[in-house]
Amino acid sequence: MSLRRPLAAALVPLLLAGCSYQHYQSDFGGGAVEDRQFLTLFWIFMAVCAVMYVLVIGFMVLAILRRGRVSDANVVETGRHHRSHPLMRSTLIGWTALIGVGLAGLAIASFIADRSMAKAATGEKLSVTVTGKQWWWDIVYNSADASKTLRTANELHLPVGVPTRILLNSSDVIHSFWVPSLGGKQDLIPGRDNDITIVPTKTGIYRGQCAEYCGTQHAHMALVVVVESYPDFLKWWQHQLQPAVAPASPEALAGYRYVTSGPCSACHAIGGTPASAQVAPDLTHLASRKSLAAGTLPMSKGNLYGWIADPQSLKPGNKMPTIGLEPDQLHAVVAYLETLK
Amino acid sequence: MSSPFGASLLLLGAAALTLSACDREEHHSRGKPIGETVPAGSSPQTIFPGSSLPPAPDMRAKLYDNNANAISRGQQLYTWMNCVGCHSHGGGGMGPPLMDDQWRYGSGIAQIATTIAEGRPNGMPAWRGKLTEDQIWSLAAYVRSMSGLPSKDAVSSRSESMSGPTPQTLTPHPDTTNSDAVPQ
Amino acid sequence: MRRFDTVISAFIPAFAALALVSCNKNPGPPPNATQTYGQVAGGPHAVPPVAAAPADDGNWTMPGKNFASTRFSGLNQITPANVKTMSIAFTFSTGTTKGFEAPPLVVNGTMYIITPFPNNLFALDLTKPGAPTKWVFKPKPAAASQGVACCDVVNRGAVYDAGKIFFNTLDGQTFAVDADSGRMVWRTQLGDIQNGETITMAPLVAEGKVLVGNSGGEMGVRGWIAALDEGSGKIAWKAYNTGPDKDVLIGPDFHPFYAMDRGTDLGVKSWPPDAWKIGGGNVWGWISYDPELHMIYYGSGNPGPWNPDQRPGDNKWTTGVFARDVATGKARWFYQTTPHDLFDHDDINEIILADIPWNGGRRPVMLRPARDGFFYVIDRRTGEVLSATPYGYVNAYKGVDLRTGRIVPNPEKAPKVGRVVRDICPASPGAKDWNPAAFSPVTGLVYIPHNNLCMDFGAMEANYISGTPYVGSDVKMYAGPGGNRGVFTAWDPVNRRKVWEIKEDLPLWSPALATAGGLVFYGTMDGWFKAVDARTGKQLWQFKAGSGIIGQPISYRGPDGRQYVAVVAGVGGWAGAVVSAQMDTRDPTGALGFANAMKDLPLKTTAGGMLYVFTVRR
Repeated sequence: MSLRRPLAAALVPLLLAGCSYQHYQSDFGGGAVEDRQFLTLFWIFMAVCAVMYVLVIGFMVLAILRRGRVSDANVVETGRHHRSHPLMRSTLIGWTALIGVGLAGLAIASFIADRSMAKAATGEKLSVTVTGKQWWWDIVYNSADASKTLRTANELHLPVGVPTRILLNSSDVIHSFWVPSLGGKQDLIPGRDNDITIVPTKTGIYRGQCAEYCGTQHAHMALVVVVESYPDFLKWWQHQLQPAVAPASPEALAGYRYVTSGPCSACHAIGGTPASAQVAPDLTHLASRKSLAAGTLPMSKGNLYGWIADPQSLKPGNKMPTIGLEPDQLHAVVAYLETLK
Repeated sequence: MSSPFGASLLLLGAAALTLSACDREEHHSRGKPIGETVPAGSSPQTIFPGSSLPPAPDMRAKLYDNNANAISRGQQLYTWMNCVGCHSHGGGGMGPPLMDDQWRYGSGIAQIATTIAEGRPNGMPAWRGKLTEDQIWSLAAYVRSMSGLPSKDAVSSRSESMSGPTPQTLTPHPDTTNSDAVPQ
Repeated sequence: MRRFDTVISAFIPAFAALALVSCNKNPGPPPNATQTYGQVAGGPHAVPPVAAAPADDGNWTMPGKNFASTRFSGLNQITPANVKTMSIAFTFSTGTTKGFEAPPLVVNGTMYIITPFPNNLFALDLTKPGAPTKWVFKPKPAAASQGVACCDVVNRGAVYDAGKIFFNTLDGQTFAVDADSGRMVWRTQLGDIQNGETITMAPLVAEGKVLVGNSGGEMGVRGWIAALDEGSGKIAWKAYNTGPDKDVLIGPDFHPFYAMDRGTDLGVKSWPPDAWKIGGGNVWGWISYDPELHMIYYGSGNPGPWNPDQRPGDNKWTTGVFARDVATGKARWFYQTTPHDLFDHDDINEIILADIPWNGGRRPVMLRPARDGFFYVIDRRTGEVLSATPYGYVNAYKGVDLRTGRIVPNPEKAPKVGRVVRDICPASPGAKDWNPAAFSPVTGLVYIPHNNLCMDFGAMEANYISGTPYVGSDVKMYAGPGGNRGVFTAWDPVNRRKVWEIKEDLPLWSPALATAGGLVFYGTMDGWFKAVDARTGKQLWQFKAGSGIIGQPISYRGPDGRQYVAVVAGVGGWAGAVVSAQMDTRDPTGALGFANAMKDLPLKTTAGGMLYVFTVRR
């Protein structure tokens, strides 16, 4: 009875793990084939280990309760092991066999899970190149038709049920691609081509983040993954290929002029405008994204204002400088960026 | 002297040493707003006619010169802003070399910052309005490091490019005394 | 101890042998002996078309000598027998110290010299002793244009037509100057240095149109060719080399020979969105003209940036050769020499028009020693590739598939972002860069001054900021197999083989001149101006000029009836930037990789800009 409360306390996190509201960044999300395979393996391990744990604890408790009894003391003192108690011997043999079978079973389960994850990595229908940069994700959707190549940043859209091969590379230091609900981690290593294949099974919005320390703002290098139906995905791709909308209001026009001729265009690109720089995220459809600055802030007008006014206070040390815009310049720039849907 | 006292003295000394290294690594990612009160273009060899006094050195020089963080930021900007396309990794090409000891417009960090900000007549672009003051001075700090001018504990020990000259920690300090030494 | 000594002494010969073997791994350049591979073939050989290559009148009015770009002089006073007595007639210092790539022009007793930046035009009076200056025209181009010129501030020549001299300035203007008085007739601003655009090429005048193209493939400049009216300087037509068909002047008359070049709006579809606007494809090299077909031929430059991963797709219409109707500019055919170019193998090299024996008759073709290391023979009516034979060492490509016309790159040598791919041959200047070969109708051989360079290529992401370079690579070049960086080849285009070659220590960056007297002239980067026998390649005469020679030699008949040979010596260009831009050779990636290959050049020559005129005195 004294064990009930700690036992309950141990089980509660397990129960909570199944809660749906945490699925957007959860290993238990089960949003993709790889993640489900991983989960299956996880539960197998969990079950086997739980059984072993219970047995071990049980035997330990038994030993504690039976301490003081002298029945088998002779065995220890004389050292004549070959004359051990038959029950002890068969228990030991049985225990070793159990462990052997258990480990073999786990190894086989692990091998099967690994092989089936690798098999899912073939026959990809969609190819995406993700380049990790300090501290954002440069995403390029590859296409056999070169004019349909799409460059975007920090938000990955995937079609449900379609195997997607994500090629991973890095421009500066080692990062790691990790969307827990969809799959495991895979490093982005400069000079090396890594890849990970994901077959999403559930539509929804998931969150990933960089899983390898990559500098000051490693903690603010998150990735939003939107899994949607294939027709929706194609519509999204088609929309993202469109050049930026021409600004309509005078304030947006002033913002457009500043953005394409001022410091912004030294690093950012906006399709359909003279700004074609490539070291910073592509802004062509900035306002259609769900977050700013690689998941640092949710997308909103206020956050845009705050980010443009002083990025160094929100994400200190990141590569976007604090420019110190005049108030009317700031209004104009945000007015223009808001039109980039 | 008893052992605990000696040990705590030693600890104090070590703490003082580590703390004194902090200045070099001051990270000011936003840049301090210092007013433009000092003309940046003059050098020790500029002629000030009529026995007039040379102006006081720019206060930003102390913040950026020999600052490892600024040199490192400048190193990344050097590639991003395509300085490497004209000046290579110091060897030059379309633009003059930056790793030698010949400086047409001066080698002081304030002079280099002026060159970057205002451009120069034979084709150096003007970056004022395209880069922030902090970025320009970081670049100037890095440009100086290519010829071995800053102290060796502040410069980058890795060039971060796949090919190029020897690391800057091995680049010798030039022995020219004239900071405006000009070719031909 | 004894045993130790024995063991060591047994190994010493082996070690010595090993050391000696490794010593010979990169032997120094062999002495300038000519390597002969065969005789000049008897029987019918290639000749230039008569309309494009008329008989020599003793003048030199365009850099290519004629519309067929033969660079062949019909004068025969200077022969292998008397060239050893050739000596200086007069000299002239142009006052510039940058790379001098232009030939002097000679028109009826006046010599015209166009210098590199600041692009001054001198007129020398050849009728008077010492050739005094008649006039100087100074266009005063914008000084800032020097900052956006990728490969030294060169000018590849002026052209004379109908009493006017036409030339381009570095800041993107075309000038027409009266040939007698030196007064400006018109000028037209074509390029904008704010975009990184310059003009270095020599114009061509055909059918009353002055044809001009821009430079800037390393600056993300969209390439074009324009035709200006000869009398007024107004733009008659302008055709881009990337973008939608209406910009490229592609219409119903466009019939590319190969399927890979057919389609609508390929100049947009073969690029990622918007990349064609900063895509390169510049026309900074040579244009030829066929008066019978009324077609001009020219090649387009490299796509931008050098890093190929930023521009997936075939990147039309870069690195290919266009045939256009000269009056309207409409494209007739196109052949893409290197689709999705990987190595900066521009296709702007000279286009020598020739008629070659073919199946009993003659076929009108163009002969092209291209950057990618292949010598192309292409039917100039249709764009069909008849042959593509390597004339240098090539490991970057496996060959050209003549069925589809497509070159097959070697995937092992493809650049990879974040990694260095080593030993790519030919290097980015190619087996031959801009400097044109000469073609002799007497021997039927093409005389090619070219390179033997390989490179290491490290690709990285390029950032586009207009007015700054858009490259994305760290390159290091070095000598190719054999250790010599240059080679002069006599090539038989009909039998597709080398007849003889001369290995040179330094890359050959000067064009060649062939004469009817049986001589071939070329200059080396350390200043040797050489005359060799056109048939055998034996060196017959040489002269050490004050600076390296990268300029076109010419031959003309002076007012006194004698044959003269002239060349301007002034080292520079991409290969000579180490000297002309006073670079620091400790950085091997300087000058887009050339600094590594030319570390010894500053000791072998210095900058200059001197005209040398030679003749044989009886």
